[in-house]
Amino acid sequence: MKLLIIEDEKELMNSIVTYLQGQKYLCETANDFKTAIDKIEEFDYDCIILDITLPDGNGLNILKQLKTYKKNDGVLIISAKNSLDDKITGLTSGADDYLAKPFHLSELGARIAAIIRRKNFDGNNILKAGDLVIDTLAKTVQINNQSIDLTRKEYQLLLYFASNKNRVISKTAIAEHLWGDNMEGNFDFIYTHIKNLRKKLTEACNHDYIKSVYGMGYKFSAE
Amino acid sequence: MVATIVVLLISAVVYYFFINNALIRQLDKSLIAEETEINEYVKTNHQLPDPEDSKDEQEQYAEVTVKGKRNFKSVLIANKKKREVYYRQLEFPVAVSGKYYMAVVRKSQEETEHLVRLILKITLLIVLLLLITLYLVNRFLLSRLWQPFYNTLQQLQKFNIASGKNIHPEPTNTTEFRELNNAVSDMTQKAVNDYEEIKRFTENASHEIQTPLAIIASKLELLNQTNLDENQSKYINSIADTTSRLSKLNQSLILLTKIDNRQFSQSGKINLAKVIETHLSNFEELLHAKNIILTKHLPGEFVVEMNETLADVLILNLITNAIKHNEENGSIYLELNDSILKIMNTGKPPETSAESYFERFKKGSPKSESLGLGLSIVKKICDVYNFKISYNFHDGKHSVVINF
Repeated sequence: MKLLIIEDEKELMNSIVTYLQGQKYLCETANDFKTAIDKIEEFDYDCIILDITLPDGNGLNILKQLKTYKKNDGVLIISAKNSLDDKITGLTSGADDYLAKPFHLSELGARIAAIIRRKNFDGNNILKAGDLVIDTLAKTVQINNQSIDLTRKEYQLLLYFASNKNRVISKTAIAEHLWGDNMEGNFDFIYTHIKNLRKKLTEACNHDYIKSVYGMGYKFSAE
Repeated sequence: MVATIVVLLISAVVYYFFINNALIRQLDKSLIAEETEINEYVKTNHQLPDPEDSKDEQEQYAEVTVKGKRNFKSVLIANKKKREVYYRQLEFPVAVSGKYYMAVVRKSQEETEHLVRLILKITLLIVLLLLITLYLVNRFLLSRLWQPFYNTLQQLQKFNIASGKNIHPEPTNTTEFRELNNAVSDMTQKAVNDYEEIKRFTENASHEIQTPLAIIASKLELLNQTNLDENQSKYINSIADTTSRLSKLNQSLILLTKIDNRQFSQSGKINLAKVIETHLSNFEELLHAKNIILTKHLPGEFVVEMNETLADVLILNLITNAIKHNEENGSIYLELNDSILKIMNTGKPPETSAESYFERFKKGSPKSESLGLGLSIVKKICDVYNFKISYNFHDGKHSVVINF
């Protein structure tokens, strides 16, 4: 899967690229408006990560260009502004999703995966991880053709993990993904949810997909 | 207008009295003429003349023992047609050959009364005409003259600084109104510009602070993917959590500032019951995990006029606060009825007093992660719409009540 990351803050750009390359994405970058325009003219991408506050031009104009070229690239807007007007303008201008800074890289990963799944019209709504088969359209999970019954949050949690394979995801990131930004404080309740999910998964097959990484969080691995 | 009417009425009354008196004086003069005639006759003929008794005039003589007094009077007497009519009479003493008589000469006031009534009618008619003309002039001519003023006034009343639109008063020939319009235009332009600048500053401030925080958070997350020993990962995550707190604090402050700057001025009819249900269903599993019992009494519809985002923030903050400061196996009670929203949750008693519960940066309980801004935001939103909010701690339960 090919991604284009348009971000003027070099350090942030590096972090994003490092993380996503670890997820086996091919990443191209653009630091400013002009480079970005050149790249989208020449290539097609599965998903474009676009920072709309670029120094030499408004990122929203890139969206307009994409529309003009009749391109089907997915677009995820990242912005430090987090203003509702911004969000509405972005989404109505043709972006697929909007993520406010600062965000967890794992959240970014999950959103990109979701956009790519949605954009892929070959009916590829199936996410495979080891023996797990997740149908994101029907919202069902199967292991070895056996259906697993998950609650809504457990499903969201599993999808989040599967979209960030082999990454250590912090408890904070999980809590914010499931319940939004407001949940600060003690995240021990996450443990209960993870425990329940793990139990259901290991009952269906012998493999423990979710590993705790002490002090850091959890990691999903198919091996 | 009222003053004019009062003056006209008073002058009408005064007018009536003067005319009436003048006419009576006229009558009196003619009575005196009669008196002179009678006296002359008596002088010449040494006897009383034949008493006159016509429709309009009466003369009477009565013998008296003592010389009477001369006086004028208005009397109500039956006339020849047996109708009661006012007469003006002059009584005067007459001496004829050593005998004393009281002569009474009367003249009917009917004519004069007619005249007075006519004059009064004409006067009232004129007054009425004057009033109507005054009214019409006032309404049409003057109101057109004042039109530019009312126009500017109307624009001022509709002025919304958040809309970014300046006031453009209609051009006018009147100097005073033109000056007014220029002043208003300049003032609103300045206000709009200043407001835009503040908005931009607020948004830029957010941008400036969030980006470095985002960089820090991202590097920490990458560090997490490497092989760290226990201590290293502990420190990393401590930094990550703190950075997260910092970022949330920044976002909350920006939100409070935006509310202050009236950047959420757009309002709509919001069904709060639905907003609450949505948020509650999102937290369902969480409550279950913490074993918190939720009791709710929500109507199907509870409409409040407010900004959609603020309604969302308000409810979200109230609910997360109730969950955050709750304990394992605790309970949450939510009620929405009439015009109040009541939310109660179990939890440790607050360390600060109930009055300062909503102040920024006050921590309410030993859970030191909470900076208390969530409730400050709730209070601020209530302040914007004049909702009354109160808090108390009773029977081991925190209770927040909002009166809409």
